[in-house]
Amino acid sequence: MRSRSNIEVRRCRPLLGTFVEITACGRDERFLARGIEAGFAVIATVNRLMSFHDPLSDVSRMNRDAFPKGVKVHPWTWQVMKVSKRFAERSHGTFDITVAPTLTAWNYLPRYGYQFSPTASSRDIFLRRNYEVFFCRSLIVDLGGIAKGFAIDRAVDALKENGIECGTVNAGGDLRTFGPTSQLIHLRHPTDPTRIAGAVRLRERAMATSAIYFQRRKHRGRYVSPLLDGRNDQAACKLISVTVAAAECMTGDALTKVVFALREKAAGLLAQYGADALLLECDGAPSWMFHSSCDTPDRTRFD
Amino acid sequence: MNSEFVFIALPVSALIAPSAFAVQYLTVDQAQKAIFPGKSFTGSPIKLTGDQRKAIEQASGVRVLRDEQHVWRVSGGGWFIVDEVVGKHEFITYAAGLTANGSIKQIEIMDYRETYGGQIRDQKWRVQFVGKTSKSTLKLDSDIKNISGATLSCRHITDGVKRLLAFYEIALKH
Repeated sequence: MRSRSNIEVRRCRPLLGTFVEITACGRDERFLARGIEAGFAVIATVNRLMSFHDPLSDVSRMNRDAFPKGVKVHPWTWQVMKVSKRFAERSHGTFDITVAPTLTAWNYLPRYGYQFSPTASSRDIFLRRNYEVFFCRSLIVDLGGIAKGFAIDRAVDALKENGIECGTVNAGGDLRTFGPTSQLIHLRHPTDPTRIAGAVRLRERAMATSAIYFQRRKHRGRYVSPLLDGRNDQAACKLISVTVAAAECMTGDALTKVVFALREKAAGLLAQYGADALLLECDGAPSWMFHSSCDTPDRTRFD
Repeated sequence: MNSEFVFIALPVSALIAPSAFAVQYLTVDQAQKAIFPGKSFTGSPIKLTGDQRKAIEQASGVRVLRDEQHVWRVSGGGWFIVDEVVGKHEFITYAAGLTANGSIKQIEIMDYRETYGGQIRDQKWRVQFVGKTSKSTLKLDSDIKNISGATLSCRHITDGVKRLLAFYEIALKH
C-alpha cells in the first residue's frame, strides 16, 4: 500500500527525439514535481544545444562554421565533444561522432547541404580551452550516440540538487537510477521488441541498451542501421542487443556502440570505465557477460 | 555494487506474453494542474468544419483524423488541449498547454500505449482505453516499469503539436 511517506511521481515528455520519463520518490508530491521540472529543464537545454536538426544548436553551428573558422560553444557541448574525442581515441575510432555523413546518406539524418571530407575523423577536431571548437578539415558531427546519456546524467544532478533522494531518468531506453532502492529493468528481445528477453536489477547506476530492431532498414538492397563502426563505416546489422551498465549514463551510452562492434574485444575498455556488459543473441539468450572488477569507477572528468 | 549486474531470465510464459505496454502518467485533471497550477478551466469541445480541417492540414502538413478537439480555456489566459496520436505501434494521449499568444507552454504525455500486431489500427482496441482510470490501464504488464532498449521516436507527437498550432491559428485564435 502507498503511504504518505512513499509517493512516486512519474512524468513523461517528448524530448531528445524520444520519450523521456522521470520518476521521483519521496514524501511530498509538490516537492517531487518541482524536482522533476528541474530535471526536464536541463534535458530541454541539452536538447537545444546538441540537436542535429535545430539550425540554432551548437551542433549545427559547429557543422556550419567550425571549419575553417571555429565556433564558441556552451561548456556542456564542449564537455561532450571532449569526452567523445577521448572515447574515439580509446576505442581506436570504433566510436566516432564524425560518421554523420554516412547517416545522412542512409537518410537517418537530414542532409542540410553540409560539405565534408570523406576521410575526416575525430582526430580532426580540436578543442580550445575557451570553449572554442575548431575542425581542421571539413567534417560534420552528430552527438546522437552520446548526448542522450549526458542529458540523463545532468538531469540526475538536477534532481539531486533539488533534494530528490530516489528516482529514475529514462530517455528512450537509456536510463539511470539513484537512491537506496534497486529497480528491475526489463530488456527487450533483440529480434522482437514485442517481447521481453529478461531483466537486470540496478541500483545507483546507469544502463544503456543498443539494438537495431526499430531502425534497421534496407538501403540499395542491403540492410543498414544507424549503429556504425567508426573505423570502416560498416553498419551493425545483426539483431543482437548490447546492454552496458556504468556509473554514468554517458559512458554506458557510448560504450554500447563500441561493444556492438567489438563484442568481447571491448573488455579492456569496459574495465577502464568500470562498466559491465551483457550481450543478447538473436534468440534472446545471453552469450557474453562482462563484470567489471572495479567497483568504484571514477566519474568522467572534464578538464 | 557490480555483483548486482545479473541477467534474470524470465519464465517462458512471460517471454511470449507481453504484446502491449501501457502507462498512465496523468489524468486530465492532473495534467491541468501540472501545466497550469492554480488556474481554473472552462472546457468546450470544438467541432471543425470541413474547410477548417483542410486549412489545418494544409498549414501543418499533418492529417486531421478527428473533427472534434477537446479544448479548455484557462483562467487568466491560455489554452489547455488534450490530443491523441496514433503511430505504427503507439497510441498516445497527451496534453498541450498554450500561452495566451498561442505558443507552446508545456507538453505532458498522459497515456502511453505501445502494442504490436496491428491492434493500433483497430478503433475498437483503442476505444477500450478511452476514459479509463489509471488502474484499468495499468493492468497491462504493470510489473514492467522500466525498459532498457531503444524506444519509439516521438515523431508523431511532434507532428501532433504542429497540427495543434495550426488548429490554434485557424479555429481557436479568434
